[in-house]
Amino acid sequence: MSDLSAILARAGLATPEEREHWTMRWISTVDHKRIGMLYLVTSLAFFAVGGIEALLIRLQLAVPNNKLLQPDTYNMVFTMHGTTMIFLVAMPALFGLANFVVPLQIGASDMAFPRLNAFSFWLVPFGGVLLHLSILAGGAPAVGWFAYAPLSEMPYSSHHGVDYWALSLLVLGFGSVGTSINLIATVLTQRAAHMTLRRLPLFSWMIFVNSFLVILALPVLNAGLAMLLIDRLLGAHFFLPPGGGSAIMWQHIFWAFGHPEVYIVAIPAFGILSEVIPVFSRKPIFGYEFVAGSTVAIAFLSLLVWAHHMFTVGLGHTVDLFFVASTMLIAVPTGVKVLAWSATMVGGRIRLETPMLFCVAALVQFLLAGLTGVSLAAAALDWQAKNTYYLVAHFHFVFVGLIVFAILGALHYWFPKMTGRMLSERLGKWTFWLMTIGFNMTFIIQHFLGLAGMPRRVYTYADLPGWGWMNMVSTVGAFLMAAAALVLAWNLAASLWGGRRAGDNPWNAWTLEWATTSPPPPLNFERLPAIRSRRPLWDAANPGRPDPVVGTRWKADTFAPEKNRTAVTTFIISESGFFAVLILAYLFYNARPQPGPSAHDLDVAKTGLFSLCLFASSLTLWLSEVSLQKGRRGAMRAWLAATVVLGAVFLLGQGLEYRGLLASGARIGTNLFASTFFTLTGFHGLHVCVGLVALLIVLALTRAAGPGPGRPAALRAVALYWHFVDAVWVVVFSAIYLLPRLR
Amino acid sequence: MSTGQFLLEGWTWGGASLPVGAAALALYLAAFGFRRRLGYFAAAVGLALATFMSPVGTLADGYLFSAHMLQHIALLLVVPALALLGLPRAQSLALRPRAAGHPVVAWVAGVGAMWVWHAPALCNAAVTSGPVHALQTVSLLLLGALFWRPILAPREEERLPPPQAILYLFGACVACSVLGIILTLSPVTVCSVYAAPVDRLGLLHTLRDGWGMTPERDQQIGGLLMWVPMCFIYLSAIMAQVARWFAGAGSPEAREA
Repeated sequence: MSDLSAILARAGLATPEEREHWTMRWISTVDHKRIGMLYLVTSLAFFAVGGIEALLIRLQLAVPNNKLLQPDTYNMVFTMHGTTMIFLVAMPALFGLANFVVPLQIGASDMAFPRLNAFSFWLVPFGGVLLHLSILAGGAPAVGWFAYAPLSEMPYSSHHGVDYWALSLLVLGFGSVGTSINLIATVLTQRAAHMTLRRLPLFSWMIFVNSFLVILALPVLNAGLAMLLIDRLLGAHFFLPPGGGSAIMWQHIFWAFGHPEVYIVAIPAFGILSEVIPVFSRKPIFGYEFVAGSTVAIAFLSLLVWAHHMFTVGLGHTVDLFFVASTMLIAVPTGVKVLAWSATMVGGRIRLETPMLFCVAALVQFLLAGLTGVSLAAAALDWQAKNTYYLVAHFHFVFVGLIVFAILGALHYWFPKMTGRMLSERLGKWTFWLMTIGFNMTFIIQHFLGLAGMPRRVYTYADLPGWGWMNMVSTVGAFLMAAAALVLAWNLAASLWGGRRAGDNPWNAWTLEWATTSPPPPLNFERLPAIRSRRPLWDAANPGRPDPVVGTRWKADTFAPEKNRTAVTTFIISESGFFAVLILAYLFYNARPQPGPSAHDLDVAKTGLFSLCLFASSLTLWLSEVSLQKGRRGAMRAWLAATVVLGAVFLLGQGLEYRGLLASGARIGTNLFASTFFTLTGFHGLHVCVGLVALLIVLALTRAAGPGPGRPAALRAVALYWHFVDAVWVVVFSAIYLLPRLR
Repeated sequence: MSTGQFLLEGWTWGGASLPVGAAALALYLAAFGFRRRLGYFAAAVGLALATFMSPVGTLADGYLFSAHMLQHIALLLVVPALALLGLPRAQSLALRPRAAGHPVVAWVAGVGAMWVWHAPALCNAAVTSGPVHALQTVSLLLLGALFWRPILAPREEERLPPPQAILYLFGACVACSVLGIILTLSPVTVCSVYAAPVDRLGLLHTLRDGWGMTPERDQQIGGLLMWVPMCFIYLSAIMAQVARWFAGAGSPEAREA
């Protein structure tokens, strides 16, 4: 322990006075740089876990008819491998990099909400531990990382593995949404003066765009997970066909999240490539606008095309056709990016140091991943290759070939900034070559295995011609990658202890993170250079030939809204996605009449009256805001109290409605109407409760603040949320109470 | 009637379409004279005429929900956009009560037109009743123009800045996708007239057996048209906004503050 503290102190990562209590200082830190590093360390730890699982898979598959792992164990191992690598390795690593780099790149002193940041981070180890606790509770989930229903339902997976899986993903999902809201608020509200939105470095820009994707996609999964848990633990039948549910619905929900998820981890990788390749080619990025703009296109397209994961489900030719065409379109903006990176390198003075090596390999491998991706977009080929190792090879080329390589490039690139020490270039080259050779050995051959017909998710295979040696090659490659990981770990440890001093700007890079010391001081910058273009450090170093000034034509360029409102607005966008899924599920499951309780058993008049209370509460809250603006604090608090009372009356009405339904024998599992009704109104009621608590806190704050303006920002932010909860009820009320009576 | 016959004979030459289209062009020429932007306006008129007079219009008239959806998308999204692009740059589109032009109102108009006309009762009425159909056409064109105004108004100062415009368009894309998803996945028929058409042209056999257009598949295609290609219209507009956002980057007006 004391050794570690000595290392940290030596690296400047713990001040002398912190040495005594350095663990506490790191655990309780709210500094974005330390949180970023904690994310990365957590990610590396889970990388070891997921990597060992990968090696177990490869060992089992090394020879035909192998008996190393039991079939069930094998299923658990590959489920945990997939879940771990995506949710506990890739996402935390990218959030960690974003956490460390974005505030520095935009010239901020920290994230917009440092404590939210710490909270979001600590959900990652908590969620990871929760997932692994399943092993002690009867066995890990064994249903694949997408947990297809009905396999993931109670009758088919009766031990609690899937419950732990769903709960931990919910926990991780909250953390991801929290971080992304924080990143959006940081980019919008914490930028240094003159760091306009169009001068953002590409990594920060892509993290900004990507954060929107996270807040839109993750709530879809969260809604699905909630429904799955209600099925499993409360006896509903959302995804169970025997009870009238739809297993396909789970696939729609999962892939509506799952496809954007691919881009959620890929876009930050694109950002890394866009930072590293220009610096090591000694040229500005070719076509900044195209790289930045194509990111927007990719983000939007990714939300549209999830059904291409479901060609083999039997949605019909018609549906397939639309998604074949739209999926292939994604090749256009990604192709624009690949061209821009390649053109950046053309004619540059390329320095092939470790970060650049990883990024060039990522570029080449991503090209191959893209080509197999386009081939899989053709439904006819997809039918043949879907459940084979061809698909396994394709998505590992995306996740490892692009994303892991980009993360490793980023780690080598920003490690000097994080620790003040250079990584060993010699060990870095060893890591790179072991990794590249190992990776390509493992996965190139899997394309051929897949085309030869080897199905995925089988624990073993017969000794068919060619399968044995190809699998052996793949396994050997996997161990080369493990060797690369060990060299990397050694490099990180040794360099932290005795690496060469990095200085402020070891790579002669141009973005603001290199304008401060390595590691940066607690508040990041003593002073900032002038920011007129996208490469402020180039301008400072070359006053004779600076980059062309990037103008401030739009008002939005210098847009810097209030941070609480920004965060709540972003949160509302995210919550809309969550409720949209629940409302759509309600409409879908209630399209046909069914035996048992139905919407016609509900009392429209009574609930309508209680709904009026809720709508009136929006009015009183607005009056409270108006009073605040006019400085009438007494009136403000009176209207605020009225809002709380009206909200409570509404909840009372909901309670009466529930009591009536329960008295008539309806339970959440009785039929699909009851399941959807209780789920939708229950989650809405939960949001009303949260809003009430927030309002009470604001009320208490205004009392504590005494005379003076109090905390106007808090009231405005909470009011925004409250109005949103009311607006959701307008839709829910129309869908549940009014729509059935229109028919 | 076979497919070939239908493609030859399925055109509607009578009716009010041609005179109204010619009148629109004449009005444009009277107001603005001959100018290059006339091309956009002529394209708008041409597309509107095509949706009514071509076989697509015939199919939309009671036979196929999917054809109706094509017509709907063209009239709400494409024709008004082209018409706005056709206006001279100096033309102001300021609306009298300022609230009518507020982006929230315009957004609700554009998205609402999509949702309201697909309520089962209205969807059926628009097919079976002439006046309702005329009302639907006019309302789609007007509401579509209202929707596009904050994006495509001829004067720069009457348009939304790019970031807001992107949110505006993305919101519309999501709202239409949601309706498209409902139509595609709905286990019940949304617009029942198309499930049992009055076969006035003797075409039904060709559609059902020749083209394989069962009522279920027909509704599915209709929903998918709204879910996917319609969103691409919004997405193209979003990319145009991204281009507009980055276009001014290195312009000389940019002086360091």
